[in-house]
Amino acid sequence: MQEQTESFSKPGWQRDWFIVRSLVKKDFKLKYRGSVLGCLWSVLTPLLMMCVLTAVFSAFFKFEIEYYPIYLILGNVLFSLMGDSTTSAMNSILDSASLIKKIRIKKIIFPLERVLFQFVNFLFSLLAVVMVIAFFQIAPTANILFLPLLLFYVALLSAGLGMMLAALAVFFTDIVQLWKVIILAWTYATPIFYPVSILPDWMLVAEEFNPMYHMITYFREIVLWGQTPSLTENLICLGMGALTFIAGYLVFNKTQSKFILHV
Amino acid sequence: MTDNPNKLFLGVHLEDFHDDDKEVMVDVDHVSMIFNMASERMSSLKEYAIALARRELRFKEFRALNDVTFQVKRGDVFGVLGTNGSGKSTILKIIAGVLDPSEGSCTTKGNIAPLIELGAGFDMDLTARENIYLNGALLGYTKDFIESHFDDIVQFAEIEKFLDMPLKNYSSGMVARIAFAVATATIPDILIVDEVLSVGDFMFQQKCERRINSLIKDHQVTVLFVSHDTNQIERLCNKAIWIEKSHVRMIGAAHDVCETYRMIGGREGSPESEAHMLAVENDGSVVPLGELTDVVAGDSRYGTAIDMARRMHPQPDKVIIVRDDSRADNMLGIELSRILEAPLLPIAADLVPDAVLDYLNQLQPSEIIILGSSNEFRRGILDSFALRYADAKVTILEDERKDLLALKAYRYATEQGGAWGRTAFLSYKECFEDLLVLSPYMYAIEAPLFFVETQHTVDAPVREAIVDNFDRLIAVGNDHTEIFEDCLDPFREAGMEVLRLVGNDVYHANRLLNEWMVDEYHKLGIAPSRSVAVSASLQREHAFTLGSYAGLRNMLVLYADPVDLDSIAAAIDYLQTYADDIDELVFIGNDQVLSSHDRQLLEKALLIGKAGRKSAIA
Repeated sequence: MQEQTESFSKPGWQRDWFIVRSLVKKDFKLKYRGSVLGCLWSVLTPLLMMCVLTAVFSAFFKFEIEYYPIYLILGNVLFSLMGDSTTSAMNSILDSASLIKKIRIKKIIFPLERVLFQFVNFLFSLLAVVMVIAFFQIAPTANILFLPLLLFYVALLSAGLGMMLAALAVFFTDIVQLWKVIILAWTYATPIFYPVSILPDWMLVAEEFNPMYHMITYFREIVLWGQTPSLTENLICLGMGALTFIAGYLVFNKTQSKFILHV
Repeated sequence: MTDNPNKLFLGVHLEDFHDDDKEVMVDVDHVSMIFNMASERMSSLKEYAIALARRELRFKEFRALNDVTFQVKRGDVFGVLGTNGSGKSTILKIIAGVLDPSEGSCTTKGNIAPLIELGAGFDMDLTARENIYLNGALLGYTKDFIESHFDDIVQFAEIEKFLDMPLKNYSSGMVARIAFAVATATIPDILIVDEVLSVGDFMFQQKCERRINSLIKDHQVTVLFVSHDTNQIERLCNKAIWIEKSHVRMIGAAHDVCETYRMIGGREGSPESEAHMLAVENDGSVVPLGELTDVVAGDSRYGTAIDMARRMHPQPDKVIIVRDDSRADNMLGIELSRILEAPLLPIAADLVPDAVLDYLNQLQPSEIIILGSSNEFRRGILDSFALRYADAKVTILEDERKDLLALKAYRYATEQGGAWGRTAFLSYKECFEDLLVLSPYMYAIEAPLFFVETQHTVDAPVREAIVDNFDRLIAVGNDHTEIFEDCLDPFREAGMEVLRLVGNDVYHANRLLNEWMVDEYHKLGIAPSRSVAVSASLQREHAFTLGSYAGLRNMLVLYADPVDLDSIAAAIDYLQTYADDIDELVFIGNDQVLSSHDRQLLEKALLIGKAGRKSAIA
């Protein structure tokens, strides 16, 4: 009996990591269960989005951007990664209400798992990026090796926002609606499908405070323009990501014991 | 729910266990749980802003648990009892680590398998196989553990054939089976069982109980068990705690706690009443053997009425049919029943119950009197009597107005040669409890019953009938909503003696009226029966025709409502005060009206009273 009770569960992070893995697996299975193309959609969606946006924006605006489709898909997938992660993390606690009420479980697992799931999805989007780059026959440089670092920054930012939103959404459901609008505004405020050059001076100043502006620029530098990101750029991205993460964690940690009373 | 429930602590009685040396598995130490009522509803920013602006953000507090302290030792099977909303689930959630207590602390040793609500975390779109893994992970199992126990789980849940079917296609019973199998795959140190055994079919419930039993017996697992079912707790547990409205009421051996809970759990009443009941319950000097009790009951209210009818007259050739829920008709039936020597048989508005039909078929009465307002019956149901019992004479006494119906009943009874005393009763048509108590007196002094037209008026023909034939009037009803003084003035002016009997609280009035009646009997030289009919006033279905029966046997009526401790305490007090005048308790209605335990309690109270004592209030 004694051996059994000891082996059925491992303490601490191992147990939590298994839960996270199981949940990600579940989300992944459920996302494409029943669809014919399955997880191919994770590749197709960014490609199709790129085609639509390219068609629309090259017809209406005459942006002087080299490799506009690549410029666009890079911005789009990275922003979607952040947008989807935060939105889905925001709902994580509300969606897991039944679990939280009945099982002793670390609550922070839920927003983090949602972010992780979006990152797994993002890997498929990267396939789409690779296809586009191959199509335009751009040779990758060694700078592409900075990608994991960038993803780490984005992960910090998304998880931080995700935790904060997840906590707030428990107390004020309005956040869920509000965040949709904020994400939309943020999409337009970030140079995803337009060049930085069209921005007025004051907007350029404002962009300095937009983490997605820095991170998307970073992404384009290492993938499209073959530039090595400067130390300053790295520090800005890291700083913004880390600060958000810490803030999100603190908010989540401070409020989590009250979740069960509100969900 | 009472505003002021009994929270009196009845004590910890664990002296007999001698288990101080055993390891403490769950230590609940002065735990309180406070919820903010208002903040829970504050789910939008707008509401929050408004509340903030009004400075209403300090909320009303709700204490789900108030200073709860207890310990569970290794190997204990600990039952948690309590009515809905008393905090049982909250304490379990705190022990399971789902909720943090607002005050105090709760420490547990070892791992906990919570069977709190089975299937939390199941995803209906996943297959059973996937759900077993997912649920296992959520419960903290390792992948290896799940893999090695997978076959056992599947076997226990009996789902071999459906493993790869999405859970949404499963029946709820099958889902519960999987959940139970996953949750009990491990041998935990502490098992928390929250009324899970109520799901699934009978076979599976037994299987679950066997599994829990094997965990208890073979593995010395410590179990916390929540249930409403005192029998289940008594069967499975050794110790128990009773939590009522967030307060601990009693901790002790499961048997003792269940006994006490069965008696006073979930009932309303003052602490004094409760203490009174407990004093009777704990009095070991007398043993109720049922020798002083009789039960008049059938399977249903109709069965009870038939039982009463059979006891009244063995072979009546007349019967009186009344509607089963009309208070006025049943009360008018008392005088008809006396004069015609006929029992009252209740029928529903749209149906003659089988029990009544069988009785009538067997009896083949020569005369059937139907009393009531025909608009209260479904069309044709009254005619059906004429058709069905073609040999019988069917008389229908009916009027839409109850006061005129009473007059018709009076005139009919007079035509049938009814004898009347010098007293008439006047009441209002909704009156029930007080008239029922007075029914033996009405019967004894041969008084008819009349009704007022409104609270202020008595219809002229009714008034004339009373004034012309009687010289004493007893009005039953209060003077501010039921029968105003101006109703009675004409009778006083006519020189009648007018008496008012008023009762505000049913149980208080019950006693006063009984005492008044006994006094009156003494004056009249009538000896009241030494039997007392015990009836419920809240669950009064069984008592509708009681008036005629209590009247015939001249039994006093005593109310005792199981949900109202005060009523039981009042009944106990009455029985003990007048124990020398009472030799028999006749309980009206089956176990659903008053449980056998409550009957025993009242018999015990009577025995104690007969022994010359009143149970001391602890």
